[in-house]
Amino acid sequence: MVVTNQTSSEAQAAPAPPAARAVDLVKTYGMGDAVVHALDGINVEFERGRFTAVMGPSGSGKSTLMHCMAGLDTPTSGHTFIGDEEIGLLDDAGLTQMRRDRIGFVFQSFNLVPTLTAGENITLPADLAGAKIDREWFEFLVGQLAIGDRLSHRPSEMSGGQQQRVACARALIRRPDLIFADEPTGNLDSNSSTEMLTFLRRSVTEFGQSIVMVTHDARGAAFADRVVFLADGQVVGEVYSPSAETVLDQMKRLSG
Amino acid sequence: MWKVTVKGLLAHKLRLVLTALAIVLGVTFVSGTLVLTDTLHNTFTTLFGHIYQNIDFEIRGKAAFADNGTGGAVRKPIPQSILANVRAVPGVAYAEGTAGGYAQFVSSTSKAISTGGAPTIGLSFDPNPQLSALQLAAGTAPKTPNQVVMDEGTARKYHFEVGQHVRILLAGPPQTFTIVGIVRFGTADNLAGATLAAFDLPTAQHLFGLTGRYNAIDVLARPGTAKAGLEHAIAKILPPGVEVVTGQTVANEQSSAINQALSFFSTALLVFAFISLFVGGFTIFNTFSIIVGQRTRELALLRVVGASRRQVFRSVLVEASIVGLVASLVGLGLGVLAAMGLEALLKGFGITLPSGPLVFETRTVVAAIAVGVGVTVVSAISPARRAVQIPPVAALGDHRGDQRESMRRRIYAGSIVALLGIAVLALGLTKPAIQLVGLGAVAVFIGAGMLAPVVARPMASVLGRPLAGILGISGKLGRENSMRSPRRTAQTSSALMVGLALVSTIAVFGASVSKSATSSVDNAVNADYIITNSGAGAAGFSGSVAAAAAHVPGVTAVSTVYNGTFEFRHSLKALTAVSPDHLSETVILRMDSGSGAPALAAGELLVDTTTANTDHLSVGSVVPVKFAETGSSTMRIGGIFKANALRGSFVAGDSFFLSNFNNPLPVAVLLRTDSGASKAGTAAVGGRLSAYANLKIQTRAEFENTQQMQVNQLLGLIYALLALAILIALIGIVNTLMLSVFERTHEIGLLRAIGMRRRQVRAMIRSEAVILSLFGAIVGVLIGTALGVAFASSLKQQGITDLVVPFASLVTFLAIAALLGLGAASWPARRAAKLDVLAAIAAE
Ligand SMILES: Nc1ncnc2c1ncn2[C@@H]1O[C@H](COP(=O)(O)OP(=O)(O)OP(=O)(O)O)[C@@H](O)[C@H]1O
Ligand SMILES: [Mg+2]
Repeated sequence: MVVTNQTSSEAQAAPAPPAARAVDLVKTYGMGDAVVHALDGINVEFERGRFTAVMGPSGSGKSTLMHCMAGLDTPTSGHTFIGDEEIGLLDDAGLTQMRRDRIGFVFQSFNLVPTLTAGENITLPADLAGAKIDREWFEFLVGQLAIGDRLSHRPSEMSGGQQQRVACARALIRRPDLIFADEPTGNLDSNSSTEMLTFLRRSVTEFGQSIVMVTHDARGAAFADRVVFLADGQVVGEVYSPSAETVLDQMKRLSG
Repeated sequence: MWKVTVKGLLAHKLRLVLTALAIVLGVTFVSGTLVLTDTLHNTFTTLFGHIYQNIDFEIRGKAAFADNGTGGAVRKPIPQSILANVRAVPGVAYAEGTAGGYAQFVSSTSKAISTGGAPTIGLSFDPNPQLSALQLAAGTAPKTPNQVVMDEGTARKYHFEVGQHVRILLAGPPQTFTIVGIVRFGTADNLAGATLAAFDLPTAQHLFGLTGRYNAIDVLARPGTAKAGLEHAIAKILPPGVEVVTGQTVANEQSSAINQALSFFSTALLVFAFISLFVGGFTIFNTFSIIVGQRTRELALLRVVGASRRQVFRSVLVEASIVGLVASLVGLGLGVLAAMGLEALLKGFGITLPSGPLVFETRTVVAAIAVGVGVTVVSAISPARRAVQIPPVAALGDHRGDQRESMRRRIYAGSIVALLGIAVLALGLTKPAIQLVGLGAVAVFIGAGMLAPVVARPMASVLGRPLAGILGISGKLGRENSMRSPRRTAQTSSALMVGLALVSTIAVFGASVSKSATSSVDNAVNADYIITNSGAGAAGFSGSVAAAAAHVPGVTAVSTVYNGTFEFRHSLKALTAVSPDHLSETVILRMDSGSGAPALAAGELLVDTTTANTDHLSVGSVVPVKFAETGSSTMRIGGIFKANALRGSFVAGDSFFLSNFNNPLPVAVLLRTDSGASKAGTAAVGGRLSAYANLKIQTRAEFENTQQMQVNQLLGLIYALLALAILIALIGIVNTLMLSVFERTHEIGLLRAIGMRRRQVRAMIRSEAVILSLFGAIVGVLIGTALGVAFASSLKQQGITDLVVPFASLVTFLAIAALLGLGAASWPARRAAKLDVLAAIAAE
């Protein structure tokens, strides 16, 4: 694939400083016998201007990693950084500021406020921050994601794919440092899912957006510059410039 | 964020309406009360201004007692001889004396015309049209001792015309007069519902016991005379104890006296309005808590995309303010309508009010909006704070806060608030300070509301068990639902809890008052018959009744009872007077020390044990007293009797009383017969006294019944006013059930899909409602009973001697609450049953 080749050559030429990193990250749930080590001392870096995929079996701690790194959840121990800023040192106001300005999210489902239209959902982060909306950027995103004719619709009046595209536009509207996407294509058919992944890929390539995406789909992971594999709360491997085959290979090796 | 809030509101219109309704009703009450009292205030001020607009000065006796806030100061009549001197003052164009007193018309059907609380006024008619407040609408002024003019209102209502005869009840024996004229007050045909009989001046003086004296002299200045100079000149020639004031002053005094009465009335109504709002506050609190709970994911999502805590907090409060504002505006509109309604309601209770244009002050608008928005926002603060606690991760799944942990904090906080409330309440009751009592009660309710979730689960379980037995699976599911979230169950029923607590308080208190009234009659009256005026709030009746009753065969003892006010140790008190002759045959005194009848005969004063204790008096103490008529003197305490509400705290002998009061009217005549009370006896007494149409002759048992009926009537009024609070509580239940039906759409769809019938769905929702309302009702009745017992026992000294807990009534309340809950469930139940199975399952 043309896109993949192009990025891999760039990655080798000039490694970007990390957009986010985790140091000895531990997250445990429960106590005593029922204790679960969702994250068991993870050290990982997500490069700036790169598209990183996170893979691993169900329950391996992918979502937990994303939540801790994005400051949605507090780790049991360890440190997480967005750029140079340590998340653990921020108070609620600081975290809010961070989420407004530097982080974007796309979840598997329930991404949109049901009472707002698609257009209003997209501009919501800017509205919350009291910032002016970059109209050109807005129009561009809407055009790229082909949701121009859905802007006045409520989430309940849209298909799952359309909803995810709206969520995508919302994540990008403030041009955050980093976008976390937790199985953004999990509910989509293969066409919609390809469209969405292509768009994410392009936003990395063309606008230098940094993206971390959790996925179960090897084909989806192949859109990324790098795949990080988790198992039992630990990083167990990674693949640069992946293709569907290399990813599947790695997965087989890990489970085997 | 603003957009999110508004859109959220508009997306849930039904929820908005149901939430707002609680506040709408409360605000309606507040603004209705304000509009009504402002209107009445305006009407009376205009009326009195009109009546006194022509009078330049009034000369009258100085107020005998310092103004004690009851309005209508007691004044001694002035000697007639002053009039000639006043007329001689240069600048006086015209001056005439006035005389007034009790005069009550008898209708053509021989019924005393009573006015439901308004006075029956007798007056001298001043023929000078410039001076008189009365204008002849027909006929002429009265000129001879057997002529009278009547107010147009009475004439129209009872079909009297000029030329007809009319009987009039007076302080002396009743007399028949010829109506020579019909009068009106400026533009009104009657004065605030009072009836008026006007006579020529000498007749009035004679009838009202003012021979040689006037109540006042009205003065008209010559045009162009300097008013201040003239007032000064008149003041100079007046004897001591007599003063001259401007007509404007009199008008202001009169309207401010009325306005004081009005402000009491409006305060009473506002108390109930605030009770409604308080209950409404509970409903709002509950609704917002549920809404925040249901919107957890949405609020968390907002936090994820960058909403700050403050923004989430504000969005909930803004939603509350909008609900509050809309509700207040609607309530304000309804309040104006309610003002008319209240006026009609009061008329229904026999309180006649003059009519005037509705007055709509800016203050009403401000108060209504402040109160409506205020209550809503304050109630929403705690849910808003809970909303802020929602962590952003909650957007990602089914996040449930840890309820266990908060339960313990809840017990501590709730207990502290409740105990604090009890302490304040106790302080308020002993002091006594009614504001503290109110504050304490509010804290007790809030504390109980906080503690209720602790007992909600076990109680719901117990209450639901019989339902599960009767209704099977539907009852069982209803029971499970009410146990599922103890906090919501408790919050939903807490509004009803407050409502029922108040109703039960009143029930216990009322039953105790009622019983105490009976026993105070038993402990104070030994007579077979009690004769009183039949009109509510009437002044009394003719002094010649006692003499006439004495002639009834079989009557062995007659005693006349008078009431008046006097200054006892420099504070104004009510004095009761009875004749010492045959005292023990008609009156029970229960002396604690000293003597009864002999002391009264000797012109000594009897006081009750409460007064003796608080003032440290004993038999032989000499105390300063003052009478309006006769001035300051001292009295010896001749005896101390056991406190009794009916007897009053101060008793004097009748001859002493008559020598210190001008022409007083008896308030009761007590009869003892040799054959005891009987129907025939009542008829015999009635026959002898038939000339006095205003009398009610009752045996002691009947008298007790009347007393109880009066208490019950008042209770009825209070229940009616509290009904609004109950209604608001029920709206809260409807609202909660509606919200939980929406919330459980998927679950209900599932139940239907696996074979639950519509009827079973309805039964399930209804069971839940019955459990909810019974829970609230039981807690409420328990708290209310405790409060009622506390109130009643704290007023033991004030005459509530008996403590009664009316179990039958309380159980009835519980049954009614269960039925009301069933009613409240009917709409949500139908809604749940109507859910489309497929759509419900598809719903997220
Ligand atoms: N709130 C929680 N309480 C207790 N355990 C939790 C909680 N959230 C996650 N876990 C546990 O932590 C582990 C990691 O969960 P996580 O959601 O990160 O997995 P995941 O890799 O995202 O899985 P999936 O691919 O199914 O989404 C799991 O074993 C899960 O059971
Ligand atoms: Mg996951």
